[in-house]
Amino acid sequence: MATTPNGFDLDNSGKRIVVDPVTRIEGHMRCEVNVDEDGFIRNAVSTGTMWRGLEVILKGRDPRDAWAFTERICGVCTGTHALTSVRAVEDALGITIPDNANSIRNIMQLNLQVHDHIVHFYHLHALDWVNPVNALRADPKATSELQQSVSPSHPMSSPGYFRDVQNRLKQFVESGQLGLFKNGYWDNPAYLLPPEADLMATTHYLEALDLQTELCKIHTIFGGKNPHPNWLVGGVPCPINVDGTGAVGAINMERLNLVSSIIDKCTAFVNNVYIPDVIAIGGFYKNWLYGGGLSSQACLAYGDIPEHPNDFSADQLHLPRGAIINGNLNEVHEVDVRDPEQVQEFVDHSWYNYGEPGKGLHPWDGVTEANFELGPNTKGSRTNIEAIDEAAKYSWIKAPRWKGHAMEVGPLARYIIGYASGHEDIKGQVEGLLRTMDLPVSALFSTLGRTAARALEAEYCTRLQKQFFDKMIANIRNGDSSTANVEKWEPKTWPKECKGVGMTEAPRGALGHWVQIKDGRIDNYQCVVPTTWNGSPRDSAGNIGAFEAALMNTKMERPEEPVEILRTLHSFDPCLACSTH
Amino acid sequence: MTDTRANIHVPNPDAPTPLEAARLTGGARPEDIESLRMQAAVYVYEVPVRVWHWVNALAITVLIVTGYLIGSPPPTVEISEATNQFVFGYIRFAHFAAAMVMTVAFIARIYWAFVGNRHARQLFYIPFWRLRWWKELIFEARWYAFLEKEPKKYIGHNPLAHFAMFFFITLGMTFMIFTGFALYAEGAGQGSIYDQLFGWVIGLAGNTQRLHTLHHLGMWAIALFAVIHIYAAIREDIMSRQSMITTIISGWRTFKDDRVE
Amino acid sequence: MAEIETFYEVMRRQGITRRSFMKYCSLTAAALGLGPSFVPKIAHAMETKPRTPVIWVNGLECTCCSESFIRGAHPLAKDVVLSMISLDYSHTLMAAAGHAAEAALEDTIEKYKGNYILAVEGNPPLNEDGMYCIVGGKPFVDQLRHAAKDAKAVIAWGACASYGCVQAAAPNPTQATPVHKVITDKPIIKVPGCPPIAEVMTGVITYMLTFDRLPELDRQGRPKMFYSQRIHDKCYRRPHFDAGQFVEEWDDEYARKGYCLYKMGCKGPTTYNACSTVRWNEGVSFPIQSGHGCIGCSEDGFWDQGGFYDRLTTVKQFGVEATADQMGIAAAGAVGAGIAAHIAASALKSAQRKKQDSEEV
Ligand code: HEM
Ligand code: HEM
Ligand code: NFV
Ligand code: SF4
Ligand code: SF4
Ligand code: F3S
Ligand SMILES: [Mg+2]
Repeated sequence: MATTPNGFDLDNSGKRIVVDPVTRIEGHMRCEVNVDEDGFIRNAVSTGTMWRGLEVILKGRDPRDAWAFTERICGVCTGTHALTSVRAVEDALGITIPDNANSIRNIMQLNLQVHDHIVHFYHLHALDWVNPVNALRADPKATSELQQSVSPSHPMSSPGYFRDVQNRLKQFVESGQLGLFKNGYWDNPAYLLPPEADLMATTHYLEALDLQTELCKIHTIFGGKNPHPNWLVGGVPCPINVDGTGAVGAINMERLNLVSSIIDKCTAFVNNVYIPDVIAIGGFYKNWLYGGGLSSQACLAYGDIPEHPNDFSADQLHLPRGAIINGNLNEVHEVDVRDPEQVQEFVDHSWYNYGEPGKGLHPWDGVTEANFELGPNTKGSRTNIEAIDEAAKYSWIKAPRWKGHAMEVGPLARYIIGYASGHEDIKGQVEGLLRTMDLPVSALFSTLGRTAARALEAEYCTRLQKQFFDKMIANIRNGDSSTANVEKWEPKTWPKECKGVGMTEAPRGALGHWVQIKDGRIDNYQCVVPTTWNGSPRDSAGNIGAFEAALMNTKMERPEEPVEILRTLHSFDPCLACSTH
Repeated sequence: MTDTRANIHVPNPDAPTPLEAARLTGGARPEDIESLRMQAAVYVYEVPVRVWHWVNALAITVLIVTGYLIGSPPPTVEISEATNQFVFGYIRFAHFAAAMVMTVAFIARIYWAFVGNRHARQLFYIPFWRLRWWKELIFEARWYAFLEKEPKKYIGHNPLAHFAMFFFITLGMTFMIFTGFALYAEGAGQGSIYDQLFGWVIGLAGNTQRLHTLHHLGMWAIALFAVIHIYAAIREDIMSRQSMITTIISGWRTFKDDRVE
Repeated sequence: MAEIETFYEVMRRQGITRRSFMKYCSLTAAALGLGPSFVPKIAHAMETKPRTPVIWVNGLECTCCSESFIRGAHPLAKDVVLSMISLDYSHTLMAAAGHAAEAALEDTIEKYKGNYILAVEGNPPLNEDGMYCIVGGKPFVDQLRHAAKDAKAVIAWGACASYGCVQAAAPNPTQATPVHKVITDKPIIKVPGCPPIAEVMTGVITYMLTFDRLPELDRQGRPKMFYSQRIHDKCYRRPHFDAGQFVEEWDDEYARKGYCLYKMGCKGPTTYNACSTVRWNEGVSFPIQSGHGCIGCSEDGFWDQGGFYDRLTTVKQFGVEATADQMGIAAAGAVGAGIAAHIAASALKSAQRKKQDSEEV
């Protein structure tokens, strides 16, 4: 038994359980835990099991192209890396963007938040709580009543509707081909919902699947496609033309109407379905308060959604910036991503080389040099790992630290920081939810708190989306249609050497890109990504990361069925392609 | 086909034997060499070769200009509604038209290599295996580098010109035709005759962006050849011991002195 | 497989009437660009077949192919996974994890030997014994080979599986390798794009289910029905291209008028994909319609064809990096200077020679 500097008692004497692949996440991940006789997790190891080398590939390229490369870091949080990248490059080159570009970028980023949160909740997370097989036993009439009680304004709530869905589900199950539901843990006692709630939620799984095809169209309008819309250093690529000739292809009235109708659809679904579902499902799992991990002691956010273009000061951002450490919610620290002492990455337990043990590097000086080597206590072989040796290098994820602290990032971190710093909208939402569910503030620091914060954030983001849409309309009405600044488009206008940093709040948390430009080419490019923070392996001091911390001391109903592990890991919405890039 | 006048093969008693240099490389037969001592004329480039030369020169000039513009279009002009304006379309049309002319002419020229005189074939092969040819190539290069006092005489192309023509024109133009028609096949559509004949070239290049780049680089190779070629033709006309420009116009090669080597 | 229902049975039992089933078939025919004579054929196929099992594996990728797939609007992704195929293995969406997930994979391979479709998203890295992408403690390439062995056909989703995509961009540190270079004994259908269009993905799958055959492929192994023409061939800005009317600068007057993006580096003329016809997300737009040039995302090696904003791509050779024109102009400059110097030297030499000659006389 050993206690980590960040306060967790690790004991790897119990039974070792391996979950590989961890599914319903983005990318490749492995998780190993030690479970004691009573079924409690006493040691947790999370491993990023993929690496592509984007930081290496970016070297020597045109910084104006970097958004497209980094966007391909992930197709799930599509666009957020691109936005971070153009911000980093603009910061380095001193490029300012027009007001409309700021509004459009914000609308796209907010649209991603809402879209990604919905897809995460219904398609990546729900099956941890919802049992679609159990839904077959539901009474459609009772389900309809449940639906109407939790969400009176959702139109799709008749008994006939639920019966149809149930029939369809039944035929599906009885066909003998269970598809995605095959080998689920459907008889595990960890599932607590009554059949009616299972049917309601399964129905919404399908509704959300249909709806998300609509929601993403905001990206398509401004960026031409989704996933992976197009971006531009200096603004946005789509011009605005609401008055003139040949407006097809530009943002015109028809396009604006489409954007606004999608914002309305987002809003309706989040308010009528998503939030009520989280409250309803959460209500049945109220006592499952595991998974707080680092959230009550160390949270980090960079902030995002600038009110004005080119102004990233903390008080001008709609999503909060700040850091909380040592569990002191009374103090929200300022975050300076340029400070070489604040954000640093360590690789003592990661499959990379710095050449010097215990060394941390600020991303501007970051180094990415792969070095795959397993520890001496690995079970199995180099190409057939049975159990990982976490005392050695054990993950493709680097270990980022803020002033030496392992941090949690993401919707919950943002909401805790927002709450602690008195952000009005966030505080109002959080208090409202806790009141509705009759829960204390401490309930936030949990797996379900993370899931709830994400839903609240989706709701807040739909409102912000509308706000920036109106702002753009007002701006166009005032005669400003400009969407790009091309003054410094040509590399000959650039300084010989410069560096910049871009930040966003990606759906999964604080995202930063640091770039160094030399002779018009990328000299160094480093990304420190939300899942790099959350999925971080240990550092040289022994601090464990957010995933590992959150798994600690969780009770497993059946250790061989990892339902609880999935719940908590999924509550972070892990993205491994992001984490290692 | 006769290529010399009846009376010029009078043996030269002073001529060194075996007169290898000119014989092996310039396409000359012993009797030609015999006659070189005189200010004689040899019929080298037959009518089809000369016509081809000038048609080809013109087509290539058009191809270079329009090709360059395809890569870097002129500034936007607004004469009319887009459907009624065809500025860039004409540029591309001129390129394709010249390309067709060049290709057909090249095929005709290849045909003539079989039926024409010996000199009509020189463009299509290089005597790699002949040490002598390489030596004279170096000699010719030294002449250009002012390291030799006097050039040799040739009836056909001198080895340096021969070398350049083979690589830049015979191979270079073939390359341009294959890459060009592969690009053209894309517009003509999959399944078109162009696609069936040349579509495979795209696969070799990997993707068509790369094919464009290769085709574009080919343009520069040919353009540079043309510049050097024209300069060399004029210079040789003045400084060498034989006629040049008049030869490609009239077909007859004349010489400025009586010496053999 | 007697207990397994046909497509039609499943639909009927879901309360879908014969009439709407036939309507569905004609919509499918229309979506595939087929005439009404194909409708009975489609109906017959759906009446007689169980849902085809699909094993979907992920290598090095970004999951945007999965994301694109679920954006499918006609048919809806929901209908594809509930009624058309049996998606038995997919890291991104399946309920089971770890051992239970691996068991689902083995079970499908066992039970449907030679009858399942293997869909590959991403690609295997071959460096470090494949350990840049690990699944179940082993290199992904092992899983890929294993799952491919008994597959009826392999679909290579996206630029990753088809060509290597971003992780294979120079210097390809992991030696990310496209699927067809690892699986050499199976029919492979490449569906490139970064990601491919949702309706193209579902179109390819429904084609195979409907006609019980592989789609006709072009020279590069892509379904002809979606990849036989360039973006440029069907681009609605094409009249501006032919007219010589180009966007000269971002957000200029011409951009607002929707002129051609050729000078902004549009790769539409060199890119085979269905964007300008099918378009994206239910036909809402496609890159060019939203003002950005095509970056060529469905082409082999599109990351390494120079900058996305350059019409002429840069060539990196012998340590220099330049476009064809920059190289050509530099060479022309050198040749021009060389010729000028040569003229001068020639003139000097012949003057000397004349002088010598006259002195000798
Ligand atoms: C000496 C001969 C030729 C020269 C110098 C030449 C030059 C060029 C150049 C510089 C380009 C622009 C390439 C780019 O940057 O994308 C081009 C494009 C093209 N050339 Fe040629 N070319 C030649 C022969 C041909 C031939 C024989 C064909 C056959 C039809 C051809 C067909 C094309 C086509 C189809 C294009 C692409 C046009 C477009 O993308 O709109 N070229 N050529
Ligand atoms: C003002 C323009 C030009 C002049 C004065 C000129 C002159 C000549 C001369 C004098 C020769 C005969 C060389 C010899 O006897 O060794 C020749 C041959 C040739 N020239 Fe040109 N030329 C011109 C333009 C071009 C152009 C633009 C091209 C193509 C890029 C070209 C391609 C050739 C070729 C391929 C031959 C060899 C003909 C054969 O063996 O069939 N010429 N030219
Ligand atoms: N981690 C992560 Fe991402 C997000 N959100 C990006 O920055 O998921 Ni793919
Ligand atoms: S092809 Fe492109 S979109 Fe698809 S997984 Fe690869 S990087 Fe993502
Ligand atoms: S915008 Fe692109 S694809 Fe469209 S016509 Fe212009 S060059 Fe072609
Ligand atoms: S960038 Fe890709 S999405 Fe289509 S228009 Fe070009 S192929
Ligand atoms: Mg990094």
